[in-house]
Amino acid sequence: MLNVFDATSPIARAPAARLTSVLCIGLFPAWAFAVFNAPIDSFQGVIQKILYIHPPLAFGAYLGFICTALFGALYLWKREPRFDHWALSAAEVGVLLCTLMLLTGPIWGKGTWGRWWTWDLRLTLTLLLYFVYVSYLLLRAFSEGSERAARFAALYGILGLVVVPLNRFAIELSGGRALHPANLNPGDDQLGAGMTSPFVLGVLLVFACFAWLLVRRYELCRLREAVLLQEAESEREDAWAT
Amino acid sequence: MSSADNARASQAATPALSLRARGISRRFGARVALHPLDMELSAGGALAVLGPNGAGKSTLLRLLAGLMRPTSGVIEIGDGGGLNRVARRAAIGLVGHESFNYRALTLRENLELAARLHGLADVRARAGQSLAKLGLAGFAERRVADLSHGLQRRLAIARALLHEPRLLLLDEPTSGLDPRAAARLGEHLRERATTTGAACVLVTHDLNFAAALSQQALVLVRGHACALPEAALADAATLAQACSAAVARLEAAA
Amino acid sequence: MNVLRAVLWKDLLIEWRSRERSVAMLVFALLVVVILYLAAPPADTPEARAALPGMLWVAYIFAAVLGLNRAFALELDEDALTGLALAPADRGFIFLGKTLASFVLLLGVQAVTALAFGLAFGVNFAPVALPFAGVAALGALGICVVGTFCSAMAIRTRYREAMLPLLMLPLLLPILLGAVRATDALLNGEALPGLALQLLLVSDGVFTIVCYLGFDAVLDE
Repeated sequence: MLNVFDATSPIARAPAARLTSVLCIGLFPAWAFAVFNAPIDSFQGVIQKILYIHPPLAFGAYLGFICTALFGALYLWKREPRFDHWALSAAEVGVLLCTLMLLTGPIWGKGTWGRWWTWDLRLTLTLLLYFVYVSYLLLRAFSEGSERAARFAALYGILGLVVVPLNRFAIELSGGRALHPANLNPGDDQLGAGMTSPFVLGVLLVFACFAWLLVRRYELCRLREAVLLQEAESEREDAWAT
Repeated sequence: MSSADNARASQAATPALSLRARGISRRFGARVALHPLDMELSAGGALAVLGPNGAGKSTLLRLLAGLMRPTSGVIEIGDGGGLNRVARRAAIGLVGHESFNYRALTLRENLELAARLHGLADVRARAGQSLAKLGLAGFAERRVADLSHGLQRRLAIARALLHEPRLLLLDEPTSGLDPRAAARLGEHLRERATTTGAACVLVTHDLNFAAALSQQALVLVRGHACALPEAALADAATLAQACSAAVARLEAAA
Repeated sequence: MNVLRAVLWKDLLIEWRSRERSVAMLVFALLVVVILYLAAPPADTPEARAALPGMLWVAYIFAAVLGLNRAFALELDEDALTGLALAPADRGFIFLGKTLASFVLLLGVQAVTALAFGLAFGVNFAPVALPFAGVAALGALGICVVGTFCSAMAIRTRYREAMLPLLMLPLLLPILLGAVRATDALLNGEALPGLALQLLLVSDGVFTIVCYLGFDAVLDE
């Protein structure tokens, strides 16, 4: 069986996988060091350090969902399986990062707001997006025939992104109070001294992990297809032999 | 609506239609249903597609009908680059494995629905004519669910012929038909070929029917195709011989 | 347009013959109302009244899921869907025809369910009958658009009927929220909230356009 974490596997030997894994390995200690050395927030205390992983995870998750929809659209246009492989990989990595984000968020929320969850605009939007792409993965799992699964999933992935602005409008309408801290814009002085570099390193680290997982997942798709092709080929030969 | 009108207008202007397929193939994931094949059929011609079950015959018909995209290759229906997708659908008539009819509706209602889908005028008269042509007039007000398999089959054929397609794609049209009905269908198809120049692709195991109707034959085995010489279509016995020889040859080659 | 009319006529005729879908939807919606009544008997507190519009729309959406599943199940018998796909026209019109047929059924079910709901929970729809019908129709349209599109895919997966709610519910939030807000305002004797109506209209429009454009790819094997 293939082990994704086996460094000698054909997946890991793909050049892009090697490059991104080196990036991850290089960035992780730098990020950990920066987080450790970052000043402790005078108001929120040590729990504020979730900032160095939670928003970057969110960026990664959104990037994954956007890639899913874009590659889905490309697949519908060109009907080349490789676009579908990219879309599936992006969806899986996106859902993974989104899960981690939904796990880290409540820890900070409990510490700062005093509760695990609130029906805040951004929380609700993200939760809905999460449900859409979990349904996306279910749709793929239950569709028969790779071509049909790819087509249906592409359509659904696009719908999932189309619904985001509508949801936003809907949640604002229902009086979803914006409890969640606002976006951090570079240039704004919202980050205290010494907090910028661990944050930026966090974003880079998550993006490197995103790329690494994406590339390896894509290689897995390709290998799986190659194996299926081989099996189909040998089945044919068996059928002829009898 | 306008696209269907356009399609009908071009149909009136150019009654006959040829078909050309170059290098068309189809894969389902890793499984190859059809290896690249070429075929050509001129207006008024008929091509029989023969071969064992699971050879890719029905896939070939669905590709030609535009219900499926080929993995590679191009299909041209009509001259000069061929018709677009919508116009192609207006020009073909398909008899599939299943009848495409609704069991809760009567025969007449099913045909009227098909006529409306094709944007035909005078839906009721068209449905009536088509029923009469296949000897179904007596059953017009019966529901499809109450009919025998053979009569449902005839209804499927009536549906495919309703809009006077210029290219007929028939998947086992004689299965379930009694010999007399099969003979009448054959006559009807030949007559259409000579009067309107309608072409026909025929997937069948009925070698009598194939030999009587077609000028060309293609044998498919596991997605690999081979054309039979015209002489093989002289009669059913010759065709049977040529066909089994071709099957053996294809199996040996693969 | 021919195709839209033909598909709509066909679906309604089949439904008229059997009345399967409308009866199943209606009975189910009424059952939901009864269960809601037993689970949360009406109380005259502001909190209890505030929950009513949401409860009504839960009954509607359950009934819709049931009916929308059947919409494409009947196209799989005798491969009738292929017969439709062969129509020489934009396949988006097949989608619109199927959507409108479900829409008509759902409207009827909504009307009867609202009556039963009103009786059970002491809600009087009579003074706001017309604007409520408008809100119900806008909501039903959105539900049917998304539901028809998802049903065409769900029915051809291994889980068939079970897949539809998983696919359509995450997409329906804007429609349901808009409808619930508007219903809430009407039941409180307020004017129709403009923003909720806008949300309903915009969502209906966006979903209709996207699903109409995408439907060809659902059928294009």
